[in-house]
Amino acid sequence: MEDCLSKKIEITVSEAEKRTGRNAMNMQETYTAYLIETRAVESQNEGQCSPVDSLWRRYSEFELLRNYLLVTYPHIVVPPLPEKRADFVWHKLSADNMDPDFVERRRIGLENFLLRVASHPVLCQDNIFYSFLTQEGGWKEMVNETGFQLKADSRLKALNATFRVKNPDKRFTELKHYSDELQSVISHLLRVRARVADRLYGVYKVHGNYGRVFSEWSAIEKEMGDGLQSAGHHMDVYAASIDDILEEEEHYADQLKEYLFYAEALRAVCRKHELMQYDLEMAAQDLTSKKQQCEELATGTVRTFSLKGMTSKLFGQETPEQREAKIKVLEEQIQEGEEQLKSKNLEGRDFVKSAWADIERFKEQKNHDLKEALISYAVMQISMCKKGIQVWTNAKECFSKM
Amino acid sequence: MSGGAAGTAKALPSSGPKSLREMPHPLATSSSEEMGPALTPSPDLLLPRSIADKDLSLPNGTPVDTSSPASSSSLLNRLQLDDDLDGETRDLFVTVDDPKKHVCTMETYITYRVTTKTTRAEFDLPEYSVRRRYQDFDWLRNKLEESQPTHLIPPLPEKFVVKGVVDRFSEEFVETRRKALDKFLKRITDHPVLSFNEHFNVFLTAKDLNAYKKQGMALLSKMGESVKYVTGGYKLRSRPLEFAAIGEYLDTFSLKLGTIDRIAQRIIKEQLEYLVELREYGPVYSTWGGLEVELAEPLEGVSACIGNCCTALEELSEDMSEDFLPVLREYILYSESMKNVLKKRDQVQAEYEAKLEAVALKKEERPKVPTDVEKCQDRVECFNADLKADMERWQNNKRQDFRQLLMGMADKNIQYYEKCLTAWESIIPLLQDKPETK
Repeated sequence: MEDCLSKKIEITVSEAEKRTGRNAMNMQETYTAYLIETRAVESQNEGQCSPVDSLWRRYSEFELLRNYLLVTYPHIVVPPLPEKRADFVWHKLSADNMDPDFVERRRIGLENFLLRVASHPVLCQDNIFYSFLTQEGGWKEMVNETGFQLKADSRLKALNATFRVKNPDKRFTELKHYSDELQSVISHLLRVRARVADRLYGVYKVHGNYGRVFSEWSAIEKEMGDGLQSAGHHMDVYAASIDDILEEEEHYADQLKEYLFYAEALRAVCRKHELMQYDLEMAAQDLTSKKQQCEELATGTVRTFSLKGMTSKLFGQETPEQREAKIKVLEEQIQEGEEQLKSKNLEGRDFVKSAWADIERFKEQKNHDLKEALISYAVMQISMCKKGIQVWTNAKECFSKM
Repeated sequence: MSGGAAGTAKALPSSGPKSLREMPHPLATSSSEEMGPALTPSPDLLLPRSIADKDLSLPNGTPVDTSSPASSSSLLNRLQLDDDLDGETRDLFVTVDDPKKHVCTMETYITYRVTTKTTRAEFDLPEYSVRRRYQDFDWLRNKLEESQPTHLIPPLPEKFVVKGVVDRFSEEFVETRRKALDKFLKRITDHPVLSFNEHFNVFLTAKDLNAYKKQGMALLSKMGESVKYVTGGYKLRSRPLEFAAIGEYLDTFSLKLGTIDRIAQRIIKEQLEYLVELREYGPVYSTWGGLEVELAEPLEGVSACIGNCCTALEELSEDMSEDFLPVLREYILYSESMKNVLKKRDQVQAEYEAKLEAVALKKEERPKVPTDVEKCQDRVECFNADLKADMERWQNNKRQDFRQLLMGMADKNIQYYEKCLTAWESIIPLLQDKPETK
């Protein structure tokens, strides 16, 4: 962790700004740009005010960065970006990407993403990441020049491997199931939480009606009037308090969302393993069949049915010279194949080792973060209860004076 | 509209512990110019006993209950207004409890035990315990309305319930009704005039109430006239200011109560919908806990916590339904019946004014006012006095009742939040627990 970038520089996404520009199809579009500020930590310790470097980036550039990291570090659980579109909204929240509350929460999410990458022992050392933070112009070109898009595995290939792989590492299979279930349970939780928030909002707001009617009633009362009037005021306070309470709860929802998206990153690592394992199995299978062919040609026995074998039987045998040539080619291929298989095996084992190391790191981070999130949620609930007790105690006192 | 007139019913000039002789003669305050100065108040009229002896019958001939010394005498009513019914002066205690279901061939119904403890001379025994059903309370109320038309009779809980929507035999419904019936009898007990009513006495003491009821019916059929205290269709020109103020107050009051009732119902509805979502929310944490290792306990803890909050919320909604809403509705019914009494008062006054006018039009030299006009005037004065006294009493009771009701509402909400607070505070140590320390 000593090498981590996060220890050397301070990173913030400090502002968000609406911009208009022309897109690739020369049509006008509106988008939000985010200001990334970086400042060296060391000079701060010396008591000097170090200069702040800053540059603007939009969401699509963050996406590009992440895609690059996914392809370049397939064994790493790459931190997720905040959601592209507002999801799991309840009626008061806007689903509009331009809504200031959404933009604000996104700003925080993007900052969180950068901090996660910067504190990752492997990812923080990446040059492209560093340039993202520091080099405004020409960064896009730089990323594309790495040719990472070509290295990306096709979705189809990955899907095929998932179904056909015979012997994946059991831990990855389990991890895949876990991440599927985690995604499902957190989605469910977020959906229900949004409905809970909606209903709670309704309960609080209806109490505001008491404020109005108590006020009207107090007008016709003599001794009871003052007590009713002031109690009504407390009902208004109660009704208004829910706005802040639920806004705070959105941060909790965002913390859960991060891990919802992390589940996808976990699955990506599992997919990569399956792909590599499948590749290995195919290569081994190919080698075995070539060896078999070689043996058959050498001994003349046909152990397995093959069309070639049949046709050669029907249309006459090959000449010994032809057979020799074939055997030679096969032997060369077999040797190549064996070397490839060896290196693939090594690659596979290395991948499993380093991926699993990062997965362990991730597990610890997840357990720590989610515990913190649950604690902060409990604290929010406690605060809400205390506010409720306060308001109703005040109202009770007003009623007692009626 | 100023609230002053309604809030404190202007006390009659003589209320308070003054001697009866200092009180102005009821007839003296009327438009006495036409009567002539020859009319001097007979000393007899100033004594309650003589009023009791006088023929104070209702227009249809039904005798007004005059058996007790404190009959529908406005004078005594005024006096006793200042008697604060603290424990020392109270001599009659009534309770309604012990609901029991009776299953008969024809019907199923609930009876309640009505217990009376008293030192009053009007009761033969110091203690009584009888069983009564809603019908009996309804009968009592009707009797009181008939025999004490100048007074405000407390309301009963609603008679009819929509079958299928509310279970008439559920514990909650029966308990809510019991409380309302208890309140009804206690309000009558606290009333200085109504509590001495003969029907009330019989209600509290008779072993066989049905026999008495039939007796009453027979008597009426002998009289052959309608029971209701209805005067002819006289139209009142204008309501006196103070009664107009009461009328306006009651109108606004019942409107506001109606609004509060709707708001309270809406809150309960929203709370129940919130509860539905919470009941789905809690278990999801539990499911998640099943996936995890280190987080299993914290997640399970959160799930249990939400479950506790659900229970607390359910209790709050139930309490509000059972304790808060019925009392509101009772007061709305109360206001309605009070407005009817105001209308009756208007009728009595209208009749008096019409008769007075008729006399004036006759242009005959009359040395004395005809007795039936005198009676009308007396009725008006009594009615006004009774009503004013009852209004003041009602205002005081209303204030206490609503103070208690609203404080109760606040209390229930405080208790709800305290239960939730305890639940959440108790899981903080669980959440913070480090696995190594286990």
